[in-house]
Amino acid sequence: MDSLINAALSVWQLIPVALQTVLVILAQIFAIIIPLMLSVAYYTYAERKVIGRMQVRVGPNRVGPFGLLQPIADGVKLFFKEIVVPVKANPILFYLAPVMTIAPAMAAWAVVPFQEGVVVADINLGLLYVLAITSMGVYGVIVAGWASNSRYAFLGAMRSAAQIISYEIAMGFALISVLLAAGSINLTEIVLAQQGSALHWFALPLLPIFVIYFISAVAETNRAPFDVAEGESEIVAGFHVEYSGMTFAVFFLAEYANMILICTLTSLMFLGGWLSPFEGIPVLEGLFDWVPGFIWLFGKILLIAFLFLWFRATFPRYRYDQIMRLGWKVFIPITIVWLVLVGAAVVAELPWWFD
Amino acid sequence: MSAAVKYLRSLLMLELLAGLALTLKHFFKPNITVQFPEEQTPMSNRFRGLHALRRYANGEERCIACKLCEAVCPALAITIDSEERDDGTRRATRYDIDLSKCIYCGFCEEVCPVDSIVMTRHINYHAEERSELLFDKAKLLAHGDALE
Amino acid sequence: MSDDTLQIEVNGQTLEARKGQRLIEVTDAAGITVPRFCYHHKLPIAANCRMCLVDVEKIPKPVPACATTVMDGMVVHTQSERALNAQRAVMEFLLINHPLDCPVCDEGGECDLQDTALGFGQSESAYVENKRTVASKDLGGLIATEMTRCIHCTRCVRFGEEIGGIQEMGGTGRGEDMRIGTYVERSVESELSGNMIDICPVGALTSKPFRFTARSWELKRQPSVAPHDCIGSNVEVHSVNGKVKRVVPIENEAVNEVWISDRDRFSYLALGHQDRLQNPEIKENGSWRQATWEEALSAAAEGLKQTAADQLGVLASPSQTNEDYFLLQQLVRGLGGNNIDHRLRQGDFSSNAGAGGQVNINAITALQATDLVVLVGSNLRKDQPLLWVRVRNALRDHGIKLVVINPKNYDLTIKADATFIGSPVQMANDLAGIVKSLPDSAALSIEGWQDSMATDIHRQAAELISSAEKPVVVVGNQAYSSDNYASLNSLAAMLATQAGAELIELSYGANSHGAFQAGAVAHGLPGGAEASQPGLNASAMFEQKLSSYLLLGIEPEHDCWNSSAAINALLAADQVVVMNAFVTDTMRDYADVLLPVAAFTEQSGSMVNLIGDMQRFRANVKPLGEARPAWKVLRVLGNHLELDGFEYADLKQVTEAFVKAQEVTASVATHIVPRLSESQQLTRVADAPIYAIDSLTRRTAPLQERADSVKAAVYINQATATAQKLEAGKPVTVSQGKSSLSLDWVVDDLLSDQVVYIPAGVVGTEALGSMVGPVTVTGS
Repeated sequence: MDSLINAALSVWQLIPVALQTVLVILAQIFAIIIPLMLSVAYYTYAERKVIGRMQVRVGPNRVGPFGLLQPIADGVKLFFKEIVVPVKANPILFYLAPVMTIAPAMAAWAVVPFQEGVVVADINLGLLYVLAITSMGVYGVIVAGWASNSRYAFLGAMRSAAQIISYEIAMGFALISVLLAAGSINLTEIVLAQQGSALHWFALPLLPIFVIYFISAVAETNRAPFDVAEGESEIVAGFHVEYSGMTFAVFFLAEYANMILICTLTSLMFLGGWLSPFEGIPVLEGLFDWVPGFIWLFGKILLIAFLFLWFRATFPRYRYDQIMRLGWKVFIPITIVWLVLVGAAVVAELPWWFD
Repeated sequence: MSAAVKYLRSLLMLELLAGLALTLKHFFKPNITVQFPEEQTPMSNRFRGLHALRRYANGEERCIACKLCEAVCPALAITIDSEERDDGTRRATRYDIDLSKCIYCGFCEEVCPVDSIVMTRHINYHAEERSELLFDKAKLLAHGDALE
Repeated sequence: MSDDTLQIEVNGQTLEARKGQRLIEVTDAAGITVPRFCYHHKLPIAANCRMCLVDVEKIPKPVPACATTVMDGMVVHTQSERALNAQRAVMEFLLINHPLDCPVCDEGGECDLQDTALGFGQSESAYVENKRTVASKDLGGLIATEMTRCIHCTRCVRFGEEIGGIQEMGGTGRGEDMRIGTYVERSVESELSGNMIDICPVGALTSKPFRFTARSWELKRQPSVAPHDCIGSNVEVHSVNGKVKRVVPIENEAVNEVWISDRDRFSYLALGHQDRLQNPEIKENGSWRQATWEEALSAAAEGLKQTAADQLGVLASPSQTNEDYFLLQQLVRGLGGNNIDHRLRQGDFSSNAGAGGQVNINAITALQATDLVVLVGSNLRKDQPLLWVRVRNALRDHGIKLVVINPKNYDLTIKADATFIGSPVQMANDLAGIVKSLPDSAALSIEGWQDSMATDIHRQAAELISSAEKPVVVVGNQAYSSDNYASLNSLAAMLATQAGAELIELSYGANSHGAFQAGAVAHGLPGGAEASQPGLNASAMFEQKLSSYLLLGIEPEHDCWNSSAAINALLAADQVVVMNAFVTDTMRDYADVLLPVAAFTEQSGSMVNLIGDMQRFRANVKPLGEARPAWKVLRVLGNHLELDGFEYADLKQVTEAFVKAQEVTASVATHIVPRLSESQQLTRVADAPIYAIDSLTRRTAPLQERADSVKAAVYINQATATAQKLEAGKPVTVSQGKSSLSLDWVVDDLLSDQVVYIPAGVVGTEALGSMVGPVTVTGS
């Protein structure tokens, strides 16, 4: 056994240092991407099951035990489907668009800490990076809508762009409140700023911001009830109406990867990330001491992810003007007001969050 | 005043929460789905399923090509051609039911003077081409024979 | 209110009635429904079904409306409790023995019993015992029977007695044992037998060819006009999916009352015959190939263009539509010719006067009202069955006298008061004898007349005729084909004039009047105007052997007066264009281009019947295969020939052109001075028998099996046969000029001496010459 490890190490030593770095980074990327893709797959399964239950149905239950192989079957199906490129589409942009959508959804994960120190790139501008990268996703949508040369797709893309940009502002203000409260834009430090029991999490002092951030996030990901970009009853399927097979699958993956990303960020920024909710509480802390931090994080992510599905099962789609009104006339003023309040609280060192 | 209250209440999102509560409630309710091939919903005694043409016990087909079913069919799904057979009786040389037209009203069964055309309780059938939905005399008789 | 009208009250409604009318006639006229089975307005009253029981005040029991004569001030209730009870009870009794087999009954859906049971019966019967069954009868190829269904209304029996003239059906037994049948096993052979199907109120008598092929409610019903005789019977064509399923009469009191003859009713069966020509065909190097219409019409036009106008002979059957005739003559005359004719079976063209030329608008009413009929060379009963119905009506209504001058003593079902049977020459002499015996006839010039020729029987006949009030003279098909037709017709006209009688000139075909009016005769232009240069008539066209022929709807070997001359001329011709619905092997021998045209029920058009009614009709079904209506073919042929005036856009414009052409003053053809002669030669007489008159009837299998369908043979009376030394059971050789033929011979003592009857139009006599003329018959 030891000899085997030694042999492997000696092989590793033979590799040039620069290549070693690349290999390590690649390994890190795969360590995130592969579980992420699996999560996406089973998130779709969970979505169908949860919505099914809420509609008093069963959901997928035919492929594998409890339908567990359904996402695999869907993937295989999409993989083998023909990719149809409309005659008048711009083929280069048409193929580029899904890539432009999924790339930011993946790249944002680089700065996401799963536990203290467990992060691909622990950069100080983490939050800014996330904000910048996720905003890139809208390009994919616009390019897809334009390249399809279809009026449904174009209409969907326009709606999507306008909506994402509008909610980005509210989201940005919400994040400013968070960084103000944490005093840092390094995600690890934001989490660490919430140390203490669940009462120390930013969700409480920043409750309206938490809510607004989450709702904006739903809008950012074009999820129900803000899915006018797809609007299947109005514009068929919106920006990806012309996409089929793997190109469609990539859009699909990006949407769900984004959702999971949002869930993770929400957990990190408002729900104390990997911190145990019982930190500092005499008996319970000891009782749950054995639980590793990332389990708490995953638990929180699952909770938020469930909310996404719950929303979809509950709310009817917003009218477009109502979306715009909500974003501009409700969220932005509230976030600004709360920003001022948080600033004042930080200056006043309001216990016990900001002391 | 009331407008301000209304606005503040709206910030609490009470309606939305009520909606969420409702869906959550259903989330924990037992579902009502019937797992079709394994389970069947109860079927009425008068259920009208796939048609069949019946025969007498001696193997003679019942249909006398009186064309009452053709006449009564509100969807014009039935087409019959008749001819005098060698033994002097009238028989259908063609008896087609276009299931893509049929509305399963059961008038044909009701009007048949010899109980030849009947609507069975068989519902588990499908077709992959439209032409398969055109049931001719042989198919209908075979269906009747299979169930008799 | 005049003396013979009176007033009655029915259901509170005051109705006017004529004295002697039956109650049911009054209620029918007023639209009050009284259920009935045995009553039929064209048949005598029987009052044996009892269905029409109505309640009359002051009469203690319900009375049958069909047998109750109206009385002034009568108060009738057709819907009172008592009447309805009576009707319900009768209905229940009628249904006791009627089987409940409506689903397998062809009458189902159009059944009087079904309808009446629904309207006046009850939904349940108290009768639980066995129903009786009656064995069905074999009545021949036209009527299918199911006698268990019979309700003994005796309509068929009364029809046979009164309308058909021969009692073929009758009732035996009483009560429940009553059976309707033919007494002894035999088929019903009346030429009107199909009408029994119509009048049977239940499914006991149904059409055998129609049997089980369709149900009454799925039939598309459209009116048309029967194409077989000059009556122009109004018929309704019933079709399903473009296939004619049956033909039934439409009531038209002025034309066919409610009857049609069997050939009108069943000839639709020939529409799907294997002989139907479905594609244009061209003969190339002696073999036939299918061609497109464009090719075929070009080939036909090419040939016609190369023919000198006076070398083109155009012949049409006498049953085409006015539009066909009009375009045909326009085509011929556009090419500069005049050789067009439709009088294919006329035996003598020495006068232009004759059947078809002159419309007698009184023909039918005169026969219905007549008290004396003179038949000159006519087997009216078989040749024009519906005219004979009129004569029988006259007999029933007020009695008639009948004078017959025929080559054969036909079975007319009415006993003649004076009968002259002889060869055509003898017929002319007998007719002349009668004419000359009439008062004031001395001035009439008849060539070859000697006073010694008039005998007592002529004088007796003349007396009958001159004492009649409304006599009618009918010149029939036998005279039409005689080689002295002009003389016979002229004598008949003299007789009619002298006796103040209506003259009815009959011939073959449904539209000979239309042919004359359209100008489809060699000597006449449209509207009956005289042609400046008369062309060749039908016989001359074949005798002179022209180089090119255009034939429309005829089979010369069966339809022409001299069939052997016709075939020889056609075989010798350079080009023969045939437009026909049917094709035969003979046709393929002589024709160069075959153009399929539409048959009966497949084309629209109009025809003129013997009383001058122009009856229009529309196509009922699509023509078979690539066939097209003849008028369309002729129109396009006219275009191919680059003739003027062929720019008709639709049939209406052709009809309008035909109607407009009638505005000219018709020239009245004059009769020739009749010529008499003494001939002791053996003469052939012929007619086209009732079911051999045209292409359709010849191909109708059930009609060919009728007793009336005459087979090819030499018919001769025993005395003449003995004189000619014919041996029984051995075929004889018949010679007419160059043509001769070996045929079986049959004794027919109804024939006159000195004549042999050899039918034309039937298979087996095509090789013979003229229909009427000298013949030698020798035992082989």
